[in-house]
Amino acid sequence: MAQTIEELIQENTELKKQNSIKSDLISVTAHQLRTSLSAMKWILKMFIDGDFGDMTTEQKNFMQKALDSDNRMISFVNEMLSMNHSEDSLDEMKLSTFDVIKLIDEVIFDFTGESYKKGIQLVFLKPEQPTLEITADYEKIRVVIQNLVENAIKYSNKETRIVINASKKDSAIEISVHDNGIGITTEEQQNIFGKFFRATNAKQQDVVGSGLGLYTTKRIVEKHKGKIWFDSKINEGTTFFVQIPTE
Amino acid sequence: MAKKILIVEDDVFLQGLAATKLQKEGFDVLVAGDSDDATKILESNVPDLFILDIILPGATDGLGILKKIRENMKTINTPVIMFSNMSDEVNIKRAKELGANEFMIKSNFTLDELAEKIKDILNMKAGTA
Repeated sequence: MAQTIEELIQENTELKKQNSIKSDLISVTAHQLRTSLSAMKWILKMFIDGDFGDMTTEQKNFMQKALDSDNRMISFVNEMLSMNHSEDSLDEMKLSTFDVIKLIDEVIFDFTGESYKKGIQLVFLKPEQPTLEITADYEKIRVVIQNLVENAIKYSNKETRIVINASKKDSAIEISVHDNGIGITTEEQQNIFGKFFRATNAKQQDVVGSGLGLYTTKRIVEKHKGKIWFDSKINEGTTFFVQIPTE
Repeated sequence: MAKKILIVEDDVFLQGLAATKLQKEGFDVLVAGDSDDATKILESNVPDLFILDIILPGATDGLGILKKIRENMKTINTPVIMFSNMSDEVNIKRAKELGANEFMIKSNFTLDELAEKIKDILNMKAGTA
């Protein structure tokens, strides 16, 4: 039997309430996890720095491995919180008109340190126009570009180049992020935007990932009535494309 | 003369670690577990910098303490680092509005990185005096 509009509204209200409870639970859990992870991070680093006396090289190496593991878990918790926040606010769109070129420049600046650590060059091929204006949710589009650039860095080999393009395509803006990284196998490409999905070769890298970045990115793009797609070849690299209407 | 840091942190273990490290880095460290402790300490001490957790026992949280620090003529310009694992936008925004100098997420920094940040802030402060 078809549900009445009233029943649907009630169900929707209940779902929003459940979602809010879930979101609060994730925030509280993350806070508690971070407290323990902080304590371990600090004390391990103090041991490594010799604050509690000298250690043998072997002892230091073990402490460093423990610290690396702790840092990986901290990154994972940070990603979970970020995804939780993005999902939380997905239904609220705060629209404004802004320049995508300027936004990409800012994101590249944010990732300069990380890309430098791997010897990766971030190149932005700017369009002829001095600005590319779009009316969209600034913070969410920022998350989209951040996720694509972050993934490109994570899964790129050292001493390679990531190329970011932005251009106007009819009544839309198209952004692409190209890397020369590990690529995605043909068999796994259809799942790449799935929640919590991580490709087999991605999991084999010594890199933290929750499998939520691309899932969230796709949801944001679709919320803007845009499109996201990619080309990828295993061991050669991947290019992600995002198209978002300008209005 | 060693710079004086007041840490307001209710987790005794984290408080102890932070105090130990900052003392090794040459700071004079005072610790408080909640707002009442912090108020008692401030009766006879004026720190050069505050480090405040947000979630604290009692009626006043770290943001409440920050507000009091900025309302007190003795500490109105004293640098404050909010040092918390609660990184939601509401808290960060509120901390900025109330006049915090920095908001650092505890789990993202080691204690020597915290010490470097403190030295940066205090050197900047000395440079503009």
